[in-house]
Amino acid sequence: MGSEVKPVMEGIFKVGPPAKLIGAQCPVCNEKFFPMPPVCPHCLGDVNEVELSTKGKIYTYAVLSMGAMYKLPVPCPVGWVDLEGDGLRIFSLLDSKKVSEIDFGKEVTLRVEEVGVGNDNEPCLRYYFTPEDGGAK
Amino acid sequence: MRAVDIIGVGLTSFGKHPEESLVDMGAKVAIEAVKDAGIKPSQVNIGFFSNMLAGSIQTDFTIGENVMWNAGVSSVPIFNVENACTSGSSAVNLAWMAVGSGAYDIALVVGAEKLFVPNLGLMQAGKSQLDTLEGLVVPTAFAMRANLHMHKYGTTKEQLAMVAVKNRKHAALNPRAQFSKPITIEDVLAGPVIADPLTRLSCCPNADGAAALVLCAADLSKQFNARPVRLAASVLQTGSYVNPCDLSGWESDRRCSGIAYEMAGVGPQDLDAVECHDAFTISEICHYEGLGLCPEGEGGRLIESGATALGGKVPVNPSGGLLSKGHPIGATAVAQVVEGYRHLRGENGAYQVEGCKVFMAECMGADKDGDVKTVTCNILTI
Repeated sequence: MGSEVKPVMEGIFKVGPPAKLIGAQCPVCNEKFFPMPPVCPHCLGDVNEVELSTKGKIYTYAVLSMGAMYKLPVPCPVGWVDLEGDGLRIFSLLDSKKVSEIDFGKEVTLRVEEVGVGNDNEPCLRYYFTPEDGGAK
Repeated sequence: MRAVDIIGVGLTSFGKHPEESLVDMGAKVAIEAVKDAGIKPSQVNIGFFSNMLAGSIQTDFTIGENVMWNAGVSSVPIFNVENACTSGSSAVNLAWMAVGSGAYDIALVVGAEKLFVPNLGLMQAGKSQLDTLEGLVVPTAFAMRANLHMHKYGTTKEQLAMVAVKNRKHAALNPRAQFSKPITIEDVLAGPVIADPLTRLSCCPNADGAAALVLCAADLSKQFNARPVRLAASVLQTGSYVNPCDLSGWESDRRCSGIAYEMAGVGPQDLDAVECHDAFTISEICHYEGLGLCPEGEGGRLIESGATALGGKVPVNPSGGLLSKGHPIGATAVAQVVEGYRHLRGENGAYQVEGCKVFMAECMGADKDGDVKTVTCNILTI
């Protein structure tokens, strides 16, 4: 049954294990992107699909206390995560079970699990980052 | 480009208008502005109508033609404009370009929005965007900025709350504001938390409202209006979307205001009054910095100094701002310019900024990749 749950958006992650975010890299500019753009926005050349780091550090965050969309668990923490080695800062849902551990610079790890629903109101897979197993290794 | 003046305005109160439809409200201010300008409706050469959410809330579309016909304007080009919170100032910018270019002499701008509907929910940036799908709603977008501003610059929750307290104090002087009962820092901090550090009183409420302007080529304006107000600069910019994004301020705000200052031949030190997009308390703090009213990171200390209160060096949101008036999105940034027109003409009654000669209206709309989708700066002079 679990394998039938759709991702919140097609083509942005591999469910795994191990779960990986799917980004892109321009072979000319060398810049990485997430999600994958149709072409490199700088040179308009083709981009190559790349797997992004599963580890990162929280740049900033906030916790929504009411009114979360998509039946996301409340409190609903979100933030911007600097991916280790990729030079990318990406927006992400954070772990609602670990709100007290979320902080600036906190090391976090990628998860892909069933969380909330999508635009079709059906349960869906989302990526999020958790302080659990933070990038200590 | 030739110079463009504002020669007439119309404005409703912001709040609940259950007896009036969107078209009723838009038509009311359109009629008011046309009459105020001393023109006939047939002298309007082009019209711009701004609204954001009627398509999804009221299932209504291309409303500008209905609104303007009720004000006697037809058989001319009319455009319907949506650009989130800057829908209104985008319409102003298009009208300014239309008249400034010489293509048209007189433009009518009308903005209207009705947001008092059941279960409206929190605003988001669009349901096809990955950040929205990953749980981003507008209050958390600003709470992330607030947390970072506090972490990086030492801004305090009390300083954030001072923005709401100041704007409410201003609103008590504005009969068109939705909320005018004074509040304290403690009231703001003790309120229900939406997304820490933002409580309910740190977030602008919903509202119904409408506003209108008549723009005219400056060489014709004195035929109609003895004291026209110059729209000395009108600028719209978008975000850069570079990665990594910087959420401690808006480069786009600095870029937009910089272009506007250069166009108008003034600087931030020349501003006598400002209306800015205080959708959240942190927004006003960041706009102080984006508009150059203080150095980067000093916004919290600027509010605390009292410089941005009525009677201070540069009053910001003397109308009470969106935090006290509410935010009828399509009308908001047209109304900001109406406020400027009246300040420059000395017509704002109890909240008049005395001797106002240079006025800035700043607005910002929607979120993309940790940056803004649109930011607008309109500078008015007399």
